[in-house]
Amino acid sequence: MEKRSYKSLLLEIDNLRAQLSEVKDTLNAIRTGQIDALVVTDQNGHSLYTLKTADRAYRAFIEQMAQGAVTLDLSGLIIYSNSQFAEMVRVNHSSVLGNKFTEFISVQDIDAFAACFARGWHEEAKLELSIISQDKLIPVLISLSRLQLEDEIALSVIVTDLTAQKKNERELKEKNQQLETLNEALLSSNHDLQQFASVASHDLQEPLRKIQVFSKIIKDRHAHELSDQPLHYLEKILSCSDRMKVLIIDILNYSRLSADDNSIEIIDLRNLISDIVEDFELKIGEKRAVIDIGELPAIEGNRGQLRQAFYNFISNALKFTSHERSPRITVASREINAGELGLSLMDEEKFCRLVITDNGIGFDEQFAVAIFNLFEKLNPKSSFEGSGIGLAIAKKIIDKHHGLIVAKSEIGNGSEFNIILPYKQPVRSR
Amino acid sequence: MKKTRVILVEDDTDDSELFKTFLAHRNDIVLLCIASNGIELIRFLDRMPDDDQLPHLIILDQNMPMMNGKQTLKYLSEHDRYSVIPAVIYSTYADSSLVVDCKKLGAKMVASKPIDEDGYDKMMDNFLEVI
Repeated sequence: MEKRSYKSLLLEIDNLRAQLSEVKDTLNAIRTGQIDALVVTDQNGHSLYTLKTADRAYRAFIEQMAQGAVTLDLSGLIIYSNSQFAEMVRVNHSSVLGNKFTEFISVQDIDAFAACFARGWHEEAKLELSIISQDKLIPVLISLSRLQLEDEIALSVIVTDLTAQKKNERELKEKNQQLETLNEALLSSNHDLQQFASVASHDLQEPLRKIQVFSKIIKDRHAHELSDQPLHYLEKILSCSDRMKVLIIDILNYSRLSADDNSIEIIDLRNLISDIVEDFELKIGEKRAVIDIGELPAIEGNRGQLRQAFYNFISNALKFTSHERSPRITVASREINAGELGLSLMDEEKFCRLVITDNGIGFDEQFAVAIFNLFEKLNPKSSFEGSGIGLAIAKKIIDKHHGLIVAKSEIGNGSEFNIILPYKQPVRSR
Repeated sequence: MKKTRVILVEDDTDDSELFKTFLAHRNDIVLLCIASNGIELIRFLDRMPDDDQLPHLIILDQNMPMMNGKQTLKYLSEHDRYSVIPAVIYSTYADSSLVVDCKKLGAKMVASKPIDEDGYDKMMDNFLEVI
């Protein structure tokens, strides 16, 4: 064996180091697209090696990509990788090259990848799988397409990290589940409300009515057996139970209003109001009231809600009657346009103006707005029983129908309710 | 004057007592409280051999066990022998859906239960008008 001096060995090491560094620089230059060709000097002179497999612009682009990009040969060996892919799998960039791509794929995805790999040579193929990144798995989408190089073919694989997307999907799913839970709770509370409505409508009213009936019997038939004080208390029981009755019915109506569906249909107002008047036939008979319903149009609206609103108007007109004359209620209507109204409600041009007039006790016009407030009452409890919810409900319904209510009155001279409603409801509110 | 035969179908004994008490002074009606639900009413009517004995008016409570007011209305309207007898409904709570349902089933009138003698009198007068 040739003996070499320590010094010559050191020199050779330095030489090799320099060569290695040059190769590293060259590789880096190739990778980043700074080089198109290499000139190599050997014993035969100079040789020119052009980089056919990847043009410069392409490689520059690939290095700028956020995704990982590798190129595989027919056997699945990685013949090119950008640095993003190396970062994804957390392996030294130079160690990626020459490896089988399958070495970076989680075991359970190997078969699916094999099928996708086979398909990728003929058509664009996509697959979601997990790649191994040191000790953990990263969800990725790979997209395979065939690359026709000058004298050979290769498969380009674009690797998109789905970690953030999967996290978003998971969060979205969780949020959806939370929403579903909330929705169920809402449905169940709506159901509870309906249950309450049913309990209120019969179970609560039956005993209450008996309190009223038996108190009345004592008052009507046994008043002479009682002194003033017990009679006074009896009156209190009666007025409280009357009030409770009104409250139960109004709360029931209010709960029905909230639980009501919002379906819109065409409603013949004349039919609707005639139906309501039929409900009041007993009261109308008792009070010898005359109700005059004029020609009324058909408009769009929610049947249940509009019925409730007009029921409350008619009910009020029948309640606040004057002793001095027999009650007369008229319901009339006419078309009114936006200009005449001096108001622009939605984009509608034509409105229907309904006027409900009575000859009852009326009210002071300074309260024309206040009467629509919840629990607002203008009359002392003793003269007219009411919860003060009726007109508030009616107004809420007219508001929901994009309408307006204007009340006019004078004490002792009846009142006039002007209800302005559009003929058509906007599509959005259906 | 011929008295009007009225059958009250009511399961609540307080209510039938009230009916009898409040309407005891009336000479124009004969009140029969013989049934506490629709089934008992039908059994009673079926046992009447003579059509002339049938009541002139049937007053039905809505809330009754086994066969309520609406179910009884339906049965009566479907049987020729009974569909000719005017039937009315009275209930603690007569809301619009009850009114609509009962009218569809052939009720001549739907009333909410009164709370005093005056109310009962007026209700009875109204009922008699539909005969």
